[in-house]
Amino acid sequence: MISLSHIMLSIILLSLIFALNSSRLKILITVMFLQGILVSIAPVFLGEEISTTFALFTVITLIVKGILIPLLLMNVLNKVKMKKEIEPIIGYNFSMFIALFIIVISAYLGNEIHFPVGGNLLGITAIATILAGMFLLVSRRKTITQIIGYLMMENGIYLIGITLSTKSRYIVEFGMLLDILVGVMIMVIVLQQINITFHNINSSKLKNLKE
Amino acid sequence: MISIILFILTILLAPLFSAIILKVKAFIGGKKGQPILINYYNLIKLFRDKSSVYSNSTTFVFRLGVIISFAVMVTVFMFFPFGGMKSIFYFNGDMIFLVYLMGLGRFFTIIAALDTGSSFEGMGASREAFFSILAELTLFLVFIFIYNTTGYLSFSKMLSITDNTNLWQMYGASLILVVIAVFLISLTENSRIPVDDPTTHLELTMIHEVMVLDHSGPELGFIHLGANMKLMFYSALIARLIIPFDLGNLVINVLVFYVIVALIYILIGIVESIMARFRFTKIPKYILTSFALAFFANIIVLGRLK
Repeated sequence: MISLSHIMLSIILLSLIFALNSSRLKILITVMFLQGILVSIAPVFLGEEISTTFALFTVITLIVKGILIPLLLMNVLNKVKMKKEIEPIIGYNFSMFIALFIIVISAYLGNEIHFPVGGNLLGITAIATILAGMFLLVSRRKTITQIIGYLMMENGIYLIGITLSTKSRYIVEFGMLLDILVGVMIMVIVLQQINITFHNINSSKLKNLKE
Repeated sequence: MISIILFILTILLAPLFSAIILKVKAFIGGKKGQPILINYYNLIKLFRDKSSVYSNSTTFVFRLGVIISFAVMVTVFMFFPFGGMKSIFYFNGDMIFLVYLMGLGRFFTIIAALDTGSSFEGMGASREAFFSILAELTLFLVFIFIYNTTGYLSFSKMLSITDNTNLWQMYGASLILVVIAVFLISLTENSRIPVDDPTTHLELTMIHEVMVLDHSGPELGFIHLGANMKLMFYSALIARLIIPFDLGNLVINVLVFYVIVALIYILIGIVESIMARFRFTKIPKYILTSFALAFFANIIVLGRLK
């Protein structure tokens, strides 16, 4: 039987492969748009009963995760005039194999661990998203890609939150959401400053900073 | 009996279907285009020639290449269940036999190209070998996927109407990925546009065409027919993956099958019209994307079974 939640989780997993495979920053941010929207509406399709609180939290998460943060990133991308990640630390073809490897590993882990809520595909997607975000964080030089890796990790943590409990996660998630929003805003400002000072956004330039 | 008729019919129809691509390209380009039977005219013209021209530098390997690569395609067709009917021959595990048979055909095409001693043909041969190795990865993963879902090791049983398990209902999400993956490698293996331009006449940029430059006469006819049949094979594979179930009536089954094949050809024509050829360094990434899709579909299916 085709269930909507399975298709959604499959699309999230596929978006990981595309994120690790693409060199264009615009594609990466579009993937983040898609991922943010899918992750924030995922609880609706996992068969929770819909109450006012639940609907409110979902809508707020959708606005922050799916619309606000990617818009901020898109905005800063237009300002710094960077189109491509030119020299990644790990190449794109190899990154794609790593993405597949990450999915295999998380499929293994997801089948070992039993999550209280949702099927094992949800657990698999959550672990894979965290690992892919971590990989993006360490394997690219541009600061904007690193921010995206960080956000991807956050999406994964949100999915893990869904698998663990149904009620108490709102408190945790809501605190986290604000932190993320403020964090991304600060990072965007820092990124623009780096761009003004060094004329590019490679984080490797930061190594030259000394007291 | 029906399968033999379908076998002959499909070989005869293969050039007609290839002309559909030309028509679609002409239509999108705003031209009238060549007549729909153009490929038959070309083939008749080539087969009418008394004999092929051979260079002094070539040996028997050059002549062997054409015969073997055409014979391989005919053999492959005998194992394929067109329209969901049982194929002429089948045995357990014949899909691996088929893949390596096509590998054999490719090997002889390559070695015939090298035999001419032309440096351009060597370049084409090296590219063909490299890209088809990558494409084979995807093809095997697709077969593993079909085996995981249907449980048959034989090509004929996998894709013919043996039982009414509805694959779309059970594995819909991953089946879409597999269909896309097969479509991507069918463009690669048949040297269609994102990978290779079949109409280009600059040796530096060609892959498949450059390998057959020295062939002429009836031999060139066999090569063209073989290329048409290869495209037909991949399109038929996609068509069987799209409709893996029985529609009730033999005539309807076969008709729907050919209509879907025609739609795939139209899609190839549209892709060729709206896309440009990739740079050679980008092609491995393109093929590996199809590999990733097929691999991913396998993970999903295995994850579901647990």
